[in-house]
Amino acid sequence: MFTKTVIRMLFVIGALGYAGVAMGQDDVHNYLNDTAIKVKATESPAEKREILSTSLGGMIKALDTVKSAPMTSDRDDAKLDRIQATLQEKSDELAGVNGFDRVPDDRLNAFSTYIVQDMEQADKTFTISLVTALLIVIIIILLV
Amino acid sequence: MTRFLQRLIAGARQAHSTELGSKGCVALAVLLASCGTVPPARQEGQIAASPPRYSLVFIIHGDGDYLYHDALGNARRADEDVLSRAQAIAERNPNAEVFIFHQIERRHVLFLIPRRDGRAYYYRHGHLREQKAYWRDQGDSRFDPEVRLYEQFAGTQPLPPVRLFFYFGHELPELNGAGYDASYSERRVSIHDLAEGVRAIAGESAKIDLLALATCFGGTPYTVGALAPHARYIVASPDNLHLSYFDLEPLAGLDFGSSDGDITAFANRFARNAFEQLARDVETVVSVVVYDVDAVSGFVDSVADAYARTVTAADGTIPAPIERCDCADEVTYTSPGMNDGLTVFYRAPRFGRMKNEPRHSGWECWRATK
Repeated sequence: MFTKTVIRMLFVIGALGYAGVAMGQDDVHNYLNDTAIKVKATESPAEKREILSTSLGGMIKALDTVKSAPMTSDRDDAKLDRIQATLQEKSDELAGVNGFDRVPDDRLNAFSTYIVQDMEQADKTFTISLVTALLIVIIIILLV
Repeated sequence: MTRFLQRLIAGARQAHSTELGSKGCVALAVLLASCGTVPPARQEGQIAASPPRYSLVFIIHGDGDYLYHDALGNARRADEDVLSRAQAIAERNPNAEVFIFHQIERRHVLFLIPRRDGRAYYYRHGHLREQKAYWRDQGDSRFDPEVRLYEQFAGTQPLPPVRLFFYFGHELPELNGAGYDASYSERRVSIHDLAEGVRAIAGESAKIDLLALATCFGGTPYTVGALAPHARYIVASPDNLHLSYFDLEPLAGLDFGSSDGDITAFANRFARNAFEQLARDVETVVSVVVYDVDAVSGFVDSVADAYARTVTAADGTIPAPIERCDCADEVTYTSPGMNDGLTVFYRAPRFGRMKNEPRHSGWECWRATK
């Protein structure tokens, strides 16, 4: 019985380790892409703005939650800070604060694409630890 | 098509057809045959017997996060897209030999038994001649497995007069590249590993005619300097490069010579096409630059010490107290000859702090964080 339990645990840990890191990054991309799809499917600029604002705010808060977890390393925190700062700039530009011009109503679709593409740029040499990646996955699942 | 032509010709030869009809059918058959894209058997045989005029090597890194979304929101894998485009190019070049290496994530059978994590394809005269899976952790240097397979496929035949090399992947770190390969988190990879691989493929004292580095931030004095001894022209992006990468369409049906003028013209055409394609498809910054290696060497050498000092000072510090900048914006790097040997294609991002930036020097550097 004990052996079976250990084998099952090893299997689950292996499966999570196998998929965890990639899922953490992919889920951030997918989450932002879903936001862009919703924005483009909406007619009203006010609603588009609301969708973008809620999505960016939710992701920024989610990263705060991940950073406050005791399991994340300093290295992970520095990387998450970078992602968070990038998202915060997008949020500021949407609202037209902190030195940004407000994104015009007729450019909101393009802005949603810009957010997706900017987060998917090929500058991805950073990696985050498995624990951090799994936390991001869990929080995104809760957000959606 | 062949059956159709046979039926047409047979129909034209029928004795009870009208003379006008049979002449028309034969003429149509000849016309259709002359428009065919497949070369006649004799011509194909001649091409296969002659040595290839072009050598194309593609290294496509796929061992990491390469998910992106197209303008319609469809999820795509950048490395798989490039692989299929490179294979299509290989099939459309009867005068070339094409080596494609796809570096993929290491997977395991039942999470225990590792599977090969590289795929190699060798095309010659438009046909796939060899295909094999390989291990990527064999050898001292990061690109040793690809170099060995290149040598095995190429054999002892004379080198084609025009040689092109393409690397697709995330930015290759200039220092401390731990974590570049998702499957080998402890292994360090840097631009020097690629330079070593290019050197081995180019051969002693030989140079690749055009090296395209489809990564973010490839257009730095350090990266160009590392690759310079092994290439005549480099096409790279000094800023972020979207994962739809450089378009490969200009490589279809290659037909140019190996003179400086020919290579320059092709490099410019390749870069301009990549730029225009990206500028149509993305909202982020688009920058594609052609570096004439001989002409830029003065600038690269002049800033090498200052650049290395800045990067080395920040190595290992978290967060690193440095940020990227256009070299022209930092007095340490500016010099009168910094624009020599560059052809710059640049469009600012549509949004963000840099959206009103009208130009880029073509060189990206590091500076201390303000």
